[in-house]
Amino acid sequence: MDPPLINELHFSAANPSAYGLAEIWPFPINPGSDPNVATAGGLGFRMGNLGGFGDTSGHRDGSMEESTVTEQSVGYGAGTKRKDLSSEDESSKIVSTTTSANELNDSNGKRMKMLGTKNENAGSKAKVEANSAAGSKPGQNSKPAEPPKQDYIHVRARRGQATDSHSLAEKARREKISERMKILQDLVPGCNKIIGKALVLDEIINYIQSLHRQVEFLSMKLEAVNSRMNMNPSIEGFHSKDLGSQPFDVAGMIFGSQTAREYAQGSQPEWLQMHVIGTFKRAT
Amino acid sequence: MNSSHLNPSSSLKSRFTTRFLRALTRINARKPISPSSPREIFQRYRRIKVAADKSMASSVRSRRTWSRATLWKLRSRSCLQLASLGRRRSVKTSTITSRQAIMKKTSHEIENKTTTEEDHQDRFVGQADKLRELVPGGEAMDLCNLLDETAHYIKCLTTQVQLMRKIVDFYSL
Repeated sequence: MDPPLINELHFSAANPSAYGLAEIWPFPINPGSDPNVATAGGLGFRMGNLGGFGDTSGHRDGSMEESTVTEQSVGYGAGTKRKDLSSEDESSKIVSTTTSANELNDSNGKRMKMLGTKNENAGSKAKVEANSAAGSKPGQNSKPAEPPKQDYIHVRARRGQATDSHSLAEKARREKISERMKILQDLVPGCNKIIGKALVLDEIINYIQSLHRQVEFLSMKLEAVNSRMNMNPSIEGFHSKDLGSQPFDVAGMIFGSQTAREYAQGSQPEWLQMHVIGTFKRAT
Repeated sequence: MNSSHLNPSSSLKSRFTTRFLRALTRINARKPISPSSPREIFQRYRRIKVAADKSMASSVRSRRTWSRATLWKLRSRSCLQLASLGRRRSVKTSTITSRQAIMKKTSHEIENKTTTEEDHQDRFVGQADKLRELVPGGEAMDLCNLLDETAHYIKCLTTQVQLMRKIVDFYSL
């Protein structure tokens, strides 16, 4: 069988270290940070495969004819891993080498997108692919030629371009939450400089607790003030005369000058007036 | 767009002030001029605080979950106090507490999905639970609505504190 022999040759020549993981898989593989780590590790052997591809595709600039042949044969490398290639496919691909020198580059991009859509259909996005490298270096892209009849090659969609309905909903939800967090940051004084959801929430919780305590303290103070006022008849006498203007002033002082005018027209000040006068008179 | 329901407009301030002053006069009228024991003082302080929360919640009516929850809590508590001897009320409160427990459980189940994400997210979710305790009525809400309610609640609390401070300053002159 010819194709496997060709593969062996290329694998021996390929140097996976040069165009290794860093080139093709731009995301850092830190344990625990990426939910896809397990699958990336599991597919390590495939990465080695693609590393070989990357190296061979680097030679593309030298000679176009060779590169097409290498790409085709290299494409078979991916196929052999799955052991699904049929001989007819291989021959058809060899025939198309002469014409496909430039088309391959374009079709690679297209094939990526096709795979992207296939990915949605399959519903999984946790597998290895050089898709993200495609955006950065289209010339050096090496995609295995995909036999159309084979099972799906799962592609991880580009970051920020996921079209899965679940991830879109998640994204919308996250955006809503961050929007609300921004509003909260504006409300709580001193929260603008803090970065990070957890710290901002800490601040918010502290602020709400301090507000609760302030309400308690002010109600205690009010209680003390009120009892003192009620027990002091001289102050009341003083108050009862001025009470005609007092409630109105209360409203004015509380709201500031603008709304005081509104109160002048409303019937509330008189009602308030009567109440306060009444209670003071009753207390005496 | 958000400012319309987040800004405590002057109408909110005026509603709160009138209700609160009304409650204050009622409390003052009830009090005898005899020297008050610490227990009485404490009772009066509690009444004032309840009056403040209640008047703020009634000024917001039922437009917000937290105001509804506060009013509900206060009313059920007053019912308990009034009918402390009767047994009918105790049955009612048990149903109320069980319902709250169910609501809390469902909210936890909803949030359990998010704990499978990073540790940062875990801490975030833990704080969200703490926030739920602080904001009245927050147990049965998902995170998005909870943040919304928190924003409005903070606005109203700051208004309440501001107005109460002004009343105290006025009365202590």
